[in-house]
Amino acid sequence: MKKTSLLLTAITSILLTSLVQASDIEFEISGINSDKGKLYIQLFKGEENYHKGNAELASVVNAAKGSTKVIFNNVDQGEYVLRFFHDENNNGELETNLFGLPVEGYGFSNNAKPNFGPVSYSEVVFIVPDNSNTIINKTTAIY
Amino acid sequence: MQRRQLLKSIASLSAGAFILNLPLKALSATKQSPQFVNYKELFNQALNNSPELIGFANVVDDFPPQVLSVEGKIPADINGTFYRNGPAKHEREEQRYQHLFEGDGMLQRFTFSDGKIVHQGKFINTPKYQKEQQAKKFLYAGPDTPIQHSLPVSSSGMINTANTNIIPVGEDLWALWEAGSPTRIDTESLEYREQIILGEAGKYNKTLQGLPFSAHPKVEANGDIWNFGLNPSGHIVLYHLAPNGQPNNVALINTRYQGGMLHDFLMTDKHLLLILPSLKMKHSSDKSRQGFFSQIVFDENIPMRVLVIDKANLTLKKEYELPAGFAFHYGNAWEEKDGTIRFDASLYPDVDVLHNLSNMMKGETNNAHTKAQTAFFILKPNGSASHVLLDTTSEFPRVCNHIVGLKNERLYHLSSKHDSLWSDTVCALNTNSGKLVSYDFGKDFLVEEHIPVCPQQKEGTGYLIGTALHVPSKRTCVNIFNIENIADGPVARAWLSHHLPLGFHGNFKIS
Repeated sequence: MKKTSLLLTAITSILLTSLVQASDIEFEISGINSDKGKLYIQLFKGEENYHKGNAELASVVNAAKGSTKVIFNNVDQGEYVLRFFHDENNNGELETNLFGLPVEGYGFSNNAKPNFGPVSYSEVVFIVPDNSNTIINKTTAIY
Repeated sequence: MQRRQLLKSIASLSAGAFILNLPLKALSATKQSPQFVNYKELFNQALNNSPELIGFANVVDDFPPQVLSVEGKIPADINGTFYRNGPAKHEREEQRYQHLFEGDGMLQRFTFSDGKIVHQGKFINTPKYQKEQQAKKFLYAGPDTPIQHSLPVSSSGMINTANTNIIPVGEDLWALWEAGSPTRIDTESLEYREQIILGEAGKYNKTLQGLPFSAHPKVEANGDIWNFGLNPSGHIVLYHLAPNGQPNNVALINTRYQGGMLHDFLMTDKHLLLILPSLKMKHSSDKSRQGFFSQIVFDENIPMRVLVIDKANLTLKKEYELPAGFAFHYGNAWEEKDGTIRFDASLYPDVDVLHNLSNMMKGETNNAHTKAQTAFFILKPNGSASHVLLDTTSEFPRVCNHIVGLKNERLYHLSSKHDSLWSDTVCALNTNSGKLVSYDFGKDFLVEEHIPVCPQQKEGTGYLIGTALHVPSKRTCVNIFNIENIADGPVARAWLSHHLPLGFHGNFKIS
């Protein structure tokens, strides 16, 4: 009985943990201009990690002209930021011009766009609540 | 689509690569509150009482080809095309740009053939112009003009108006702005083709995409093109291009210049001269002075600096300090055998002229009379510098194309004798003797840049050609002077049936 009780408690705990914490993030990127190269996508948890470049998760997918969906599974509740770039020449790096501005496609969560300067955290952050299955975030690529 | 890789860090996704330290930030007027002064209304009210403002009025459509009406006789040996560029789309809906430099570029083409001149004017169909033309309103904030609900700007190409100069390069024309790439124009149709990515086909790949490229490149007698582009951070990119526009060498230097604007430069046979004026950016609490140009101020405590760049490797070789001053334009520079460098400038005592070009956009002409004077500078090899200031007012200085970077004996420029809104006189200065010859159009004309056309590649021969707006008749004319007898007035004058917007710079391509 005691063993059964413990087992039930453990199962319940796992189920509850799963119910409370497990969310998926679906990042829909549109406006990809070619099939060349790959998309590098990063997911950041919290402002500090975003500013420090410490990604929680990352993904690489083949580029496909038009729209692409990337899914990050089992994400805890919290504040998140997504960003990506289109590595058109497939060299594993975001190409920039001499002044450091991107010359390959890129983008951010919430479809945030730089405007005479970098996007702010408040423009790119989105919340993953504790009771959600799938969070959908959409953006368009900037070339 | 779920080819997911749980990578905590991907080396190529460095944080730094995403920090968009846009040099465009300085060009933004988005921090301003919406326009609280109605520039359009003020300008149109002022235009009723000050007809000379007509040169700053908005242009709605292209000008179709038109054979001009000729007074006098166009010399038979002039065959070619005179191109000019300048801002013309100043207004959309009820919005009027707050600075003359903001309007979309319009090309003016004057084709000289068999004693006739045909004019055609065409807006440059840049990505910005295309979008705004379709929307029938301004979509992007200008450097000085805030636009409500303006679209975000993530690259200079999005707001490149291509509105300052036009030069022939190879088989194409390049329309030039100074904060972004050159714009390729089809020579025959004047249609927009693309924003040029310099060196894309070669080793530079896309590293030069969208970089500033000034509107005053210097073309050497062998066709090589030299230029610079300013990043408001103070970094300046230097270009050495082959005659076909392909980069031979490109370099970046940190000048620490914080003036925000650098319009022109100079070249000798061995060096480039970057002349950094006494400007700085100063935030103002005045709500009407929140734009980019508005925040550029003159500081008499900042000396002008001349950076001497070695053309062989595009590196800084020497630096000179000059008294405080400002110039939009320089005529020419050259070097003596002992290394002494000489150059001229249309030198202003301050930068009020920049702000007057904003005031004129709302019809204010009272303070429009700050004038530059011709100045000759001497930079000695021992590091000393001196200059002489002439009495004559001076702007838009030019020398014959074949003499750029070499010793010139003639300097052609505009002047103003009637305290006019623009210029009213053309001048030819003999730099050896100091003799100044001029022709005064009279107070009814607003005279634009006149350029020497020297088919024989010999100074003192050829023609001086330029446009002028006759205010009473609201018509623009092309004037052709015998360059040896400017004081006699134009040998031919060809009239449009209407006026053109006052523009900035142009060039003549000889057939």
